[in-house]
Amino acid sequence: MNGAIATVGRDIGRILEALGGLMLVSLAVPLLWGEYYALPALLVSAIIPLGIGWLLYRRFKDAEAPSRFHGMIVAALGWFSVGLFGSLPFLLIAWSVQLGVSGFTTPAQTATLAAFTEPLNAVFESMSGFTGTGLTMTDNEEVLPRTLQWWRTFTEWVGGVGVIVLTTAILSRPGSGSLTLYESEARSEKIHPSIVSTVRTIWWIFILFTFVSILALWLAGMPIWGAINHGMTGLATGGFSITDNSIATYDSALIDFVLIPVMLLGSIAFPVHYLILRGDLRNFYSDLQTRWVFGYMSIGSALLWGFLYYAGPYGTPFAALRYGLFQFVSAATCTGFQTAVDSTNVALGRWPSYAQLTVTFGMFVGGAAGSTAGGIKLIRGLTLAKGIRYQIADVFYPETAVRRLQINGRRLNEDEASREFMEAAIIVVLWITFLVVGTFILLLTLPSGEYSLANVVFEVASAQGNVGLSSGITGPESLPTIGKIVFLFHMWIGRLEIIPVLVMLRTIFKRGGLYQ
Amino acid sequence: MKLDSLPVLSSVFEAGADDRIFDSLLLLGPLIIGLIIVLNRSLVTETLAIAYLGVFVVYILYRGVQ
Repeated sequence: MNGAIATVGRDIGRILEALGGLMLVSLAVPLLWGEYYALPALLVSAIIPLGIGWLLYRRFKDAEAPSRFHGMIVAALGWFSVGLFGSLPFLLIAWSVQLGVSGFTTPAQTATLAAFTEPLNAVFESMSGFTGTGLTMTDNEEVLPRTLQWWRTFTEWVGGVGVIVLTTAILSRPGSGSLTLYESEARSEKIHPSIVSTVRTIWWIFILFTFVSILALWLAGMPIWGAINHGMTGLATGGFSITDNSIATYDSALIDFVLIPVMLLGSIAFPVHYLILRGDLRNFYSDLQTRWVFGYMSIGSALLWGFLYYAGPYGTPFAALRYGLFQFVSAATCTGFQTAVDSTNVALGRWPSYAQLTVTFGMFVGGAAGSTAGGIKLIRGLTLAKGIRYQIADVFYPETAVRRLQINGRRLNEDEASREFMEAAIIVVLWITFLVVGTFILLLTLPSGEYSLANVVFEVASAQGNVGLSSGITGPESLPTIGKIVFLFHMWIGRLEIIPVLVMLRTIFKRGGLYQ
Repeated sequence: MKLDSLPVLSSVFEAGADDRIFDSLLLLGPLIIGLIIVLNRSLVTETLAIAYLGVFVVYILYRGVQ
């Protein structure tokens, strides 16, 4: 077991070093915006993970390469550590403003920033950012210091691709260890034979698309600071905003429609992007997941449009299309940008229950595996659907018949089909189990009668699918402490597709004698 | 000294789609955004942004039909 601690410790050390590096890079923001009072807090925030990471790495640098078991522990613990240490800028900047920093002029404290003086709120915001969820403990993002607006955006942008992918790209360690870690972060696709080349190409694509998204939003009328932040969080399918009412603040149909392809780009797998950039446009329809990204987004949006126009709150077909299309794409890509709010139209939480449940279904399925999106992933939904049809049709064939299950151009024999079907079924069953448990806990802890069952299921699915749309439950005051802890857990398991977290918890309980 | 032996440029050229147009767009992106921050919204910056997006979209289509 000591060997395991060394391997895990070494890789967690690398992840913490990378996190510290991100904070050091972010020092440019308070310098550019003249928020000098944030510099000491951000510097201290960087030094802590850097120091711990450096110590861990030096202590265990000769540890063995990680096995699959180590990889899962590193992924689960690494994401937890990043969420924890990533909260330091929120906590320390909020306290800097609260107490003042000698030698620096600090602005007046706001209720929004003061919420981060509570460590749990700061950890919630950080975990929500890195997991690309977008649920927030702020009640007015506009009054946050630019440094924290940036840090929220940056956490989502990095988290969208993955902290292990980041660590592998900048602190590369060629060999099988990198592949094991890469796969444990809910990824399996490879663009090149080398995993280091693969993650560097993923970052290359992601950075290029980020610039494209920023410029498209700016041309659509968004101010440049908003375009930078929303371009980054939109492409990362994160959904943090720098405005109080998310994208509804701009109240611009053009901005809404420009954001739709940005979110869709984020929900398509990186290997498909790579092939398209290489000139192979057939992948838009030949790749099963990409075809279904467009297919099920179209079907879901059309259904929602029907609900919102014929039986719902919108009076014109265009209004129903604008808000229905945007909200379904935002949910199904797991972005979480919101245009349906009361200040400009009708808030999501006040949509009819069946419309809310349609959006919830989008959050449940999510985008393509190998993209920045969350949910159970399209390929699992499709494997499950095809597998069920395959099992039922089996009754109609003679026992001696040799059958194949075709998924995404692969012809699977009976054993392979059973294995893939079982893997998909396990994730889906776990996903639904945790959704039900979370809903039950929230119903017990929320004030009775204040929220409907549809509201609660919606909110839990949003946290677990790393979406970030809210029916109004999440907030520093409205969500009880137990609810915040439960949501932290949901965001964490949702990002890692549950299994690595369960493996880590089992290991801890087993070592602690709680699990025999 | 060769262009692709410079530190940042070599990383950009080594990764990605092995295409100098896309590599150039990646390198020009921060410069255009920086110009927009400095010059705000003007005919020059809007033209540059439109040209950037135009080259990106048209070049993808061009490579697709090639």
